[in-house]
Amino acid sequence: MTEQMLSPIVPTPLIPRSFTTTESNKTGSWRFLKPRYDEKTAPCSAACPAGEDIARVEMLVAQGLFKEAWETILQENPFPAVCGRVCFHPCEGVCNRKEFDDAIAIHTLERFVADTAMRYGIQPDIARRPVQGPRVAVVGSGPSGLAAAYFLARLGYTCDVFEAKSEPGGILRWGIPLYRLPVNVLEWEIGRIRSLGVEIHCNHRVSSDFLRDAGDRYQAVFIGCGHHRNVDLGIPGENLDGVEEGLPFLERVRAGERPDLSGAVAIIGGGNTAVDVSRCALRLGAKPVIVYRRRRQDMPAFEHEIEMALEEGVELMELWAPLEIAPHADGYRLVLQKMEVAAEEGPRAQVRPVPGETREMVVSKVLKAIGNAAEEAWMEPPEGDGKLLRLANTALVRRDDGPVLVYGGDLAALEKSVAHAVASGKEAAMALDTYFQDGWDAIESKVSACRVGQGPSLSMEMYLGGERCRRNPHVVAFQEINTDYFLFSPRLAQPRLLKEERIQGFSEIDLKISAALALREAERCFNCGICNQCDNCRLFCPDLAVCRDDNPQGRRINYDYCKGCGVCVVECPRNAMALEQD
Amino acid sequence: MELDVLDRDYMCSGHVGCPGCGAAIAMRFLLKALGEKTMMVIPACCWSIIAGPHPQSTLKVPVLHTAFETGGAVASGIRAALDAKGDTETTVVTWAGDGGTFDIGFQALSGAVERNEDFIYVCYDNEAYMNTGVQRSSSTPYGAWTTTTPGQEWKRLRKKNIVEALVAHRIPYAATASIAFPEDLVRKVKKAKGIKGSRFLHIYASCPTGWRIPSEMAIKIARMAVQTNIFPLYEVENGVRYTINYMPKGYLVREYFKLQGRFKHLTDNDLEQIQEMVNEDWELLLRKAGVSMSAAGTVA
Repeated sequence: MTEQMLSPIVPTPLIPRSFTTTESNKTGSWRFLKPRYDEKTAPCSAACPAGEDIARVEMLVAQGLFKEAWETILQENPFPAVCGRVCFHPCEGVCNRKEFDDAIAIHTLERFVADTAMRYGIQPDIARRPVQGPRVAVVGSGPSGLAAAYFLARLGYTCDVFEAKSEPGGILRWGIPLYRLPVNVLEWEIGRIRSLGVEIHCNHRVSSDFLRDAGDRYQAVFIGCGHHRNVDLGIPGENLDGVEEGLPFLERVRAGERPDLSGAVAIIGGGNTAVDVSRCALRLGAKPVIVYRRRRQDMPAFEHEIEMALEEGVELMELWAPLEIAPHADGYRLVLQKMEVAAEEGPRAQVRPVPGETREMVVSKVLKAIGNAAEEAWMEPPEGDGKLLRLANTALVRRDDGPVLVYGGDLAALEKSVAHAVASGKEAAMALDTYFQDGWDAIESKVSACRVGQGPSLSMEMYLGGERCRRNPHVVAFQEINTDYFLFSPRLAQPRLLKEERIQGFSEIDLKISAALALREAERCFNCGICNQCDNCRLFCPDLAVCRDDNPQGRRINYDYCKGCGVCVVECPRNAMALEQD
Repeated sequence: MELDVLDRDYMCSGHVGCPGCGAAIAMRFLLKALGEKTMMVIPACCWSIIAGPHPQSTLKVPVLHTAFETGGAVASGIRAALDAKGDTETTVVTWAGDGGTFDIGFQALSGAVERNEDFIYVCYDNEAYMNTGVQRSSSTPYGAWTTTTPGQEWKRLRKKNIVEALVAHRIPYAATASIAFPEDLVRKVKKAKGIKGSRFLHIYASCPTGWRIPSEMAIKIARMAVQTNIFPLYEVENGVRYTINYMPKGYLVREYFKLQGRFKHLTDNDLEQIQEMVNEDWELLLRKAGVSMSAAGTVA
């Protein structure tokens, strides 16, 4: 009664007035197609041998979250600062942005985030498992061995690394010239692996006996000692005094020796070692000439390295094969045979000699760099063994009388590259962890469940059950990107020393970029298949059926009201959604 | 590239617009920019239905539903009533479809803006009488099928240029906007809100049902209308100062036409003819804006 007396007198409206909302109409019942968030795989990440989550890394860089970007790389690769310098970046070759204007400078951005972390001495926050029982020995402290130790340590295993030389790093320390990889960068990366508790025992050469006796202390041995034995040319005079092998030459230079070279120096071979040797020789005063039996496009060396070598003044003689090296008053007389292309099968052309066409050249020095092999037979994975399990970049052998052996790095990888070595170390860690936890027979299926896209790249984040497991393995194609949301913008040009400055010494050629340039470059990224929280789905929904939410996605679709029009899916610039039958 | 658009909505779920309704998206953006101090007049149009049956309303601002031809007059009256109450804060907006603007409501609109009444008139244009079953209006474009221009009797008359008709009244502000360009749309609504006198906004709002397009293409097609110069984004101040807001990238009109069922009967010849008409309109607009053709990168 009191209430009635207090309520104000409301005049009857002259026209009918609405007093409730439309929210009681559950328009979701109209729907026959259903949108949902469906993150997919970016082509770059599937092409990265180390399976780095590149689309996400670039998204984090564009948001200014440099530490998180660095940690995202460290999930999959212990060497961002190294790979940001020396990787052959197959990621950029498949970048969807290439179809629009130009690929993202992924390589440069990887180095940028790592250098930023190094400059500020940042420690990564990456989850580690508690210590497990089994111990693993790692033979060789090159990129594959260190990567294996890094991933095994994160999985909780105690690792001892044995290195024959005085310092760790393998090819990274002794084979890659300083102008591509400064030593402080390598030291910093290795320091972080050591801080995980990995013991690196230098000056500790391991023999085949070690494998026999290792069972007392180790449940597994990772063999990643690389290819260090030189391959013979098989021609007269190749063992003459002063005819030198490429890798030991690079090692001498890297150790600080500066042999005095002058005049024409012949480098025989077409791989990365040959190119690095020629560029070092140039810096030491020589006029280097690379003698290669095939053509430039057949050279196994990375194209951009060949290009820089030629730019600096290295000469390339294509389709000439050495026949003989003989002493000469001014050094050596090199007899060369003209070759011609016989067939274009496979990745490299088949060549044959052109009868009767030879030439001679006089050079002050000959350096051989035609490839390398394992130093000793026990370092190679055994053939045809019933207990041999071959994965993409490793080979595992189970023995009745000793620890499991894993052959990795150059000994078993698909290609000889630092990124493949990292992939090999990661694959080994996953395989051994699966073996220790679930047994030998589980290895293949568990490792293949961590494939990025169609593989063979693997993701440690997926192995550990992280967010990335929810990604659809479908690799996003250019046609699936809504390019209306992107404007043409030029690709970042990697700043470099001028060629005149480069050849003065061994200073690093690639220069730093500013944060402003890194942000601009990262913003060019389509972030193929992953949500970067652009919010278009929420903005354009005619039914206000996309709501903010505190789940990891940041938003959810309210199916009470979603009519299934699909506007959100089409307006998603990066194909991170799907529309399917309800 | 994140779009920078205000977060708060003044509209609810559960409205009865068709899936992918461009007019619903247009209303969302309009109210984001205007805020709650808004009174809205809706003459007969799709939105008379979308807003919900009595006693429901999907909008969080007051709405007066009114007769088809009265959009301009009713808004003038509400403005006068608010002025009499001393309320200068509330913005009065008429929200009408193309039928209520181009055809049936044109007299009241022309009268109101000639008197320079202080309100914003927004026409959300879906290019036919969609609510009553897709009958042609004077906004229906050349070449379109409707239920009153069926089969080979498709509309062979040009769309009325409503913005130029309003510009001829020398009103303080007239502009076009599109649901595919929310930042531009919101900016124009805010700009209009800050101006006194009659303001006119022509918002392109795709209609999946009437245009015979898949609902998920609603925004894409609205964007293409702008990219092809079929619906240029521009604004005119005081009837003379033209500013073009979007310069085209050279898309051809056929790209826009071939995606829509309402144009599927058109031959290559028809499309060429339409391309010429669009080029002509665009060149005329460039001349008014004082932009040289080469600077605008016009499609040859």
